[in-house]
Amino acid sequence: MGSSVAAHVGHTRKNPLTTAAVYASLLAACMLLGLPFFWMVVTSLKSPHELAGYPPSWWPESLRWGNYIDAWRSAPFGRMYVNSLITGLAATALQVGLALLMAYAFAFIRFPARRFWLLLVLATMMIPDEMKLVPNYLTLSRLDWINTYWALIVPPAAHAFPVFVFYQQFRMLPSALIDAAKADGAGHGRILWRVVLPMSRPVLVAVTLVSFLGRWNDFLWPLIVTDTATMRTLPVGLAYLKKQAEEGASPWHLMMAAALFIVIPIVILYSILQKQFVEGITKGAIKG
Amino acid sequence: MDAGRRHFARAFRRNGREWLTFLLFAAPNLVLFAVFTYWPILRSFTLSFTKWNLLSPAPKWAGLTNYRALFVDPIFWRVALNTLIYAVTVVTVAQACAFLLALLLNRPLRGRAVFRTVAFLPHVTTTAVAALVWVIVLHPHYGPLSGLYATLGVNGPNWLESTGLALLAVIAVGIWKEIGFASLFFLAGLQGLPADCYEAAALDGARPLSRLWHITIPLMSPVIFFLLVTGFIAATKAFDSVAIMTEGGPVYPASSTYVYHLYKVGFRDFQAGLASALACVFFIITVAITALQFRMASRWVHYGE
Repeated sequence: MGSSVAAHVGHTRKNPLTTAAVYASLLAACMLLGLPFFWMVVTSLKSPHELAGYPPSWWPESLRWGNYIDAWRSAPFGRMYVNSLITGLAATALQVGLALLMAYAFAFIRFPARRFWLLLVLATMMIPDEMKLVPNYLTLSRLDWINTYWALIVPPAAHAFPVFVFYQQFRMLPSALIDAAKADGAGHGRILWRVVLPMSRPVLVAVTLVSFLGRWNDFLWPLIVTDTATMRTLPVGLAYLKKQAEEGASPWHLMMAAALFIVIPIVILYSILQKQFVEGITKGAIKG
Repeated sequence: MDAGRRHFARAFRRNGREWLTFLLFAAPNLVLFAVFTYWPILRSFTLSFTKWNLLSPAPKWAGLTNYRALFVDPIFWRVALNTLIYAVTVVTVAQACAFLLALLLNRPLRGRAVFRTVAFLPHVTTTAVAALVWVIVLHPHYGPLSGLYATLGVNGPNWLESTGLALLAVIAVGIWKEIGFASLFFLAGLQGLPADCYEAAALDGARPLSRLWHITIPLMSPVIFFLLVTGFIAATKAFDSVAIMTEGGPVYPASSTYVYHLYKVGFRDFQAGLASALACVFFIITVAITALQFRMASRWVHYGE
């Protein structure tokens, strides 16, 4: 059906000139959107000498792969990778796991005033995370969690968005299946694990990806709750590298190489799981 | 009252196991919500009526001083205006471009998948990284545009060092990140439009532009409206690109946004009370926009029959 509609919405399909114009404008759009990526890679492979030249060249004289080794050594990137990975994975697992349990409870377990509690949870999606910065910082310093993995894992895990998405998904499952499992004497834990989860796998993958992406890319929260070089995550480490650059300590080609360290895992993940990414993010847009 | 209690006791005997299971499932997340979501909201409101530098033992009651200080502060108004300019520009420019792109893409084309991939990449890219890359893209010496300036024989603008242009540089990153994302939404919407409307219009001899104006846009209004509102709310939270590119500079509030200002007041100047007042005002504005969204939606959005 999609293509037949497309033919109607598209103004004139057969005119080769129109087609050429469409392709040309799409190509131009692609190039404009891709230019920053191209420039990042090109700059990361230039020599300091070539970088200083004016006007800048559009392709490096020689590809200096050694820049990546220099960039890796210019800051504790190994440590920052470990920090980003561990806290990202742990926070994602916690967020998704707790949201699954909660969404299941709201969808399938009887409880007084269930709708009211659900609304109370979902209403928090309207609240800007930025509002919680100061109080949560105070709570963490009370707990002595500043500069720990706990600070990067636990507070971001409490989010209504995955609860909302899972709840919507669970409500669409055929209730006959759940009732049948109940009649067989399965408990709620078993139903969640054996019936509900296998039927919700695409949503689970999408939500997990978006959660992890959010943690990996997060900048403001780790900036606030970490202040030692050993606890920094990758984006925060990059920001410090840029500060040094302003004092002339770390040059631009190394910074672009460092920037690539951060986006390459995302690009790889994205190219493998593109469909799930797009699905998860378009669902995520509801959160705003 | 006694009857009520007996009723509850009976209900509990019947459903107690079920209720306990519910608590078992929901409680872990509820505890996190209580500590890291509900409590901070209350705390923001109470802190906003105090003066505190985070170091002295306890916050001191200050009544409405913080709010009064905010509303007479020209920096606050400048930051609010910057945020409005940022959000309106990013949302309108990005969505207009995205809508055009989606119209182009909505036909049998080769290589549509390639375009989708490229268009969506900016959205998944770490904003801090994107901002850093744009620093160099806009750089008068290292950037790709400087070749153009050199051939034209002019000095390129130094975006980030100019009080007038710094905010535009931050806006550019926002637009870049939003276009592809919004165009995928529009494309999905266009592909879901009912074909019979177009068939009827073609029979009536409606021209392409009038078809666009009288059929496509009204039918797409839910998608357009949804993207406008969510995009606007997300844009008011811009922080990462400001922190990386300008830190609000070159002269402080020139390119600062609301959330960056909140961060600066709270975590650079250590004024917890004032930062909380900023947070509460932000909260009220966000809720107001969301409420307005629902009221306006019923007025001009076409949701079909």
